[in-house]
Amino acid sequence: MKDLLNSEMMPAPTPDLQGEPRRRRPAAWPGWRVARRFPLLNIGMVLAALVILASLLAPWITPYPADAGAVIHPDLVLEAPSFAHWFGTDAVGRDIFTRVLFGGRVSIAIVVGVLLISAVIGLSIGLAAGFFGGWLDAVLMRVTDVFLAFPALLLAVALAAMLSASAVNAALAIAFTWWPWYARLARGQAASIRRQGYADAAIVLGAGRARLLIRHLLPNASTAVFVQMSLDAAGIILTAATLSYLGLGAQDPIPEWGLMVAQGQPLATTAWWVITFPGLAILVTAVAFNFIGDGLQNVFDPKRGRS
Amino acid sequence: MSDLLTVRGLRLGFGKTEVVHGVDLQVLEGPYGLGVIGESGSGKTTIGRAVLRLHPALDGSITYRGCDVLTMTRVELSAYRREVQLVFQDGDGALDPRMSVQSAIAEPLAIHRTVARGERRDRVAALLAEVGLGSDLLARYPHELSGGERQRVVIARALALEPKLLVLDEPTSALDVTVQERVLQLIERLREHRSLGYILISHNLAVIDRLSESCVVLYQGAVVERGRTRDLLTTPLHPYTRALRAAVPELGVGRPPSTSRLTDGPPQTSSLLQPAGQGCSYADRCPLAVKMCRSQTPVLREVAGREIACHRAEDSLSL
Amino acid sequence: MMLEVRDLRISYRDQVVASVPTLDLEPGQVLGIAGESGSGKSQTALALMGLTRYANGVVSGSMVLDGRELLTLSPRQWRLVRGRDIAMILQSPRAALNPTMKLGALFSRTLRLHGMDKEERGPRMVQALAEVVLDAEILDRYPHEISGGQAQRFAIALVAALRVKVLIADEPTSALDVTVQAEVIDVLRNLRNRHGTAIIFISHDLSVIGELADAVMVMRDGAVVEQGSAESIFNQPTQEYTRMLLAAIPVIGGRSR
Repeated sequence: MKDLLNSEMMPAPTPDLQGEPRRRRPAAWPGWRVARRFPLLNIGMVLAALVILASLLAPWITPYPADAGAVIHPDLVLEAPSFAHWFGTDAVGRDIFTRVLFGGRVSIAIVVGVLLISAVIGLSIGLAAGFFGGWLDAVLMRVTDVFLAFPALLLAVALAAMLSASAVNAALAIAFTWWPWYARLARGQAASIRRQGYADAAIVLGAGRARLLIRHLLPNASTAVFVQMSLDAAGIILTAATLSYLGLGAQDPIPEWGLMVAQGQPLATTAWWVITFPGLAILVTAVAFNFIGDGLQNVFDPKRGRS
Repeated sequence: MSDLLTVRGLRLGFGKTEVVHGVDLQVLEGPYGLGVIGESGSGKTTIGRAVLRLHPALDGSITYRGCDVLTMTRVELSAYRREVQLVFQDGDGALDPRMSVQSAIAEPLAIHRTVARGERRDRVAALLAEVGLGSDLLARYPHELSGGERQRVVIARALALEPKLLVLDEPTSALDVTVQERVLQLIERLREHRSLGYILISHNLAVIDRLSESCVVLYQGAVVERGRTRDLLTTPLHPYTRALRAAVPELGVGRPPSTSRLTDGPPQTSSLLQPAGQGCSYADRCPLAVKMCRSQTPVLREVAGREIACHRAEDSLSL
Repeated sequence: MMLEVRDLRISYRDQVVASVPTLDLEPGQVLGIAGESGSGKSQTALALMGLTRYANGVVSGSMVLDGRELLTLSPRQWRLVRGRDIAMILQSPRAALNPTMKLGALFSRTLRLHGMDKEERGPRMVQALAEVVLDAEILDRYPHEISGGQAQRFAIALVAALRVKVLIADEPTSALDVTVQAEVIDVLRNLRNRHGTAIIFISHDLSVIGELADAVMVMRDGAVVEQGSAESIFNQPTQEYTRMLLAAIPVIGGRSR
C-alpha cells in the first residue's frame, strides 16, 4: 500500500491522484464563455458598445455634423421627426439626431474623466488607509466620512455653482464628491487582504511595502472598485445631466443630453421630440452601464459567478 | 549538536490580552523537527508568526544561530527571513489569487535577486519538480489547483530561498488523507535532502509523531509538557496530554468507549479572555486536580526524563 | 429494514455526481460513509434529506423509510419528514442556529413546530440536555456565547428531544479539536444506545468512523467503492482504494524516528 503512495511521491512530476477534484477557471477575466451565462451583462455590453460606437463615429454617420455646434436654421425650427430629421429639430432648427449622437461623446468623456479622477484619488487614499492602519487610517477615513456626510448631488451642485459653468468643471465637481465611495471600498478591501495569508507570505519572502502595495494589494482590491465603477457610470451620466439641466454644466451649443432635456422641457407639450430623444439616450446608456455593473458583480462574485 | 533556533520566555498578546505566557522552544540544526501540539486557542499559530516577526513579542527572546531576532534591523531581518520561512495552512489563502504559480514561486527570487532573470523559469520548474509537481502547472492560478497542489506550491515557494528553518503551521490539516500522506512524505524527504530544521505546528498527534524528534504540548498559551516525541506520545504524563492522547481515534473497530471523556468545561471563547491568574489553567477540566492546583500555578520541572508543569506529575506516573 | 435506498442517482445538469446502488439502515445502526472531497458523500446526505432540489439537482431511484417512499414526496410533505423522522447535523452547527435567539427559545420553538405540548416541552428539553452533558443554564445563552463542541452537542440534544429515527451527521467533528471531537462521538454513541437512533456518519476520516460505525461505505468520485460491516472494511478490505485510504491515515507509533 505504501508502495502505491511512494511511487506517487518521486521527485519526477507526478499526476495528482484522482481523489482531488480539479476545477479549471481562468483568473482575472473569466472570459466570454462565462460571460455568456449572464444575459444581462451581454445586453448591457451590446448596448454600451452601440452607444460608444455611435458617438465615436458621429462625425461620419450623422446627416448634419455642423448642427452639433453653434448654428441656427430659422427655417427648420421645431420640425417633427421625419426622414430628413429622424429625431426632429430643436428650437433653433438643429437636427436632434445629430446632437444626440454627438452628445454621447460629451457624456462618455465626463464619465471617463470622473471615474479616472475619483478612482485614482479613492484607491490611493483607501489603500493607504487600509494598508498602514493606525492614525493614518483614522485621519484619512474621518476626512472621507466628512465628504460622505454631505448629499453628493448637493455638494456637486454647490461646487459647480462656485466654478464657472462648463462640462469640465461639472466633471471636476462630480469627481470631487465621488471619490470617497471608492476610498471606503478600497480601504475595506485592503484591510481584509492585509490579513490574508498571502500578504504575510509576501512579507516573509522579503517583499517591501511598495511591492506589497502594488503587486498584491492593488490588483486584489481593484476588482471590487472596478465593478463599482461600472455600476457608477450610469449615476455619473445622470448627475452630469442634472448639473447641465440646472445650468451648472455644459453650456449651449455643446450637445449635452441633460442640457438638451432642460432646453426641451418648456416645449414638452408642443414638441415632445426635443425632450424625448435626449432623455431616451440617457436612459439607454444608464441602463446599459447598470447591466454591465450588475453582470460584472455576478461574474466576479465567487458564490454566484463561479461554478 | 548546536541550536538553530532558541526561544526563551516568549510572551505574546493581542492588545492587552496576553495569549502566550512565557514559552521556551529549541530547534537543533537540521535535519530536526520540533513538534508544537495544541488545540484552538493554545496560541500555537501566534508563536509561529512571532518566530518570523509577523507578530510582536511582549517579552522574551528569540535567537537564531546566535543572533537576537527581536532586535534585528530591517536589513538583518531580511537576511534572517531568507533562512527562515513560513508554510501556511492551505485554508489561509497563502497564495495570491491574482498570481500564477510561476510568478508566485518566482517572487522571492525576484525580490532577493538570487537568480538572474533569465534563469528564473528553470529554477521555478526545478522547485516544482522537487515538490513533485509538473511544469504544466506554471501558468495556472491558485483556484485552478487542488488543495494538495496548492500546498505543494506554497512549500516550493518557501524553499526558493534555500531556507535552513521552516515553520510549518498545520501543513496538512486542510487536506484529504491520501493527499496528506503525500505531503508528509514530501516533508520527510525534504528534511533529509536539505538538512532542514523545522517547527511543526499541528493538532494531529500522529503527524507530530511521524515528523518530529521532540515536542511541546501547549495548553492556553503555556507549555504543559515537553520531551522526546516518542516518550511523550507513548506515555503521556500531563493530564491534558493524556486526554489528547486518549481522544485520538485508533484505527479499527471494537474499541470500548471510554467512560469519562465527557466534561462540560468552560467555553473556549471565554477561556481565551481569562487572565493568567492563580492556579493551573487545566484544573477545571483535570480529573486529578486537588486544592493546590487551584491556588499555585505549576511550573515546568523535570520528571521521568521530561519536563512537565503539573503538581501531580508523580501521581500521574503511577496511573 | 427501516431505511432502504435503491439505485439512488443524484445529478446536476445531466451529470451524475453520486450514485448509491444500495443503502440499508436498521434502527440503532450506525453507517459510516467515508470519502475524500468530491467523492459524493455530502451529495448523498443532501439527497437523503430531500434537499437536492434546492440546489437544482435531480434524484432518481428509491428511498423508503418505514415502508414510505420519500422520493415522491412534495416539498410540503418533506418538511414534515425533516426534523421528525430524519434530521441532519453539520460541520458548523453554529451557522444553523439563529444568532438572535437564545438557545432556550430556539429549542422550545423547534419542539413546538413539531407539535409538542407546552407541558411536555420543559421536561423533554432538560432531559435531552442531560443526555448530551450540557447544563440547563446554556438555554439562557446566545449561539455565539457557546463553544463549537457545545453547539454540536446542543444540536444533538435537539435530535434527541425530537426522537428522530435517522440522524445524518455530515463531518460533525471535522471542525473540532480532538478532545472535543471525542466528546461529540461519545454523545452520538449515547444517543444511539438510548433512543435507538440510526446514524449516518459522514467523514473523510476513517479512523473517526471506526469509533462509531457498525457498517461502512467507501465512496470515491460519486460511486460506492466498497461497503460492508465495519469489521470487514477495517480488517479485510477488498478494494485497493479502501486499503490506500486506511494506509494513508497516520497513526501514532507508525514509524520510528
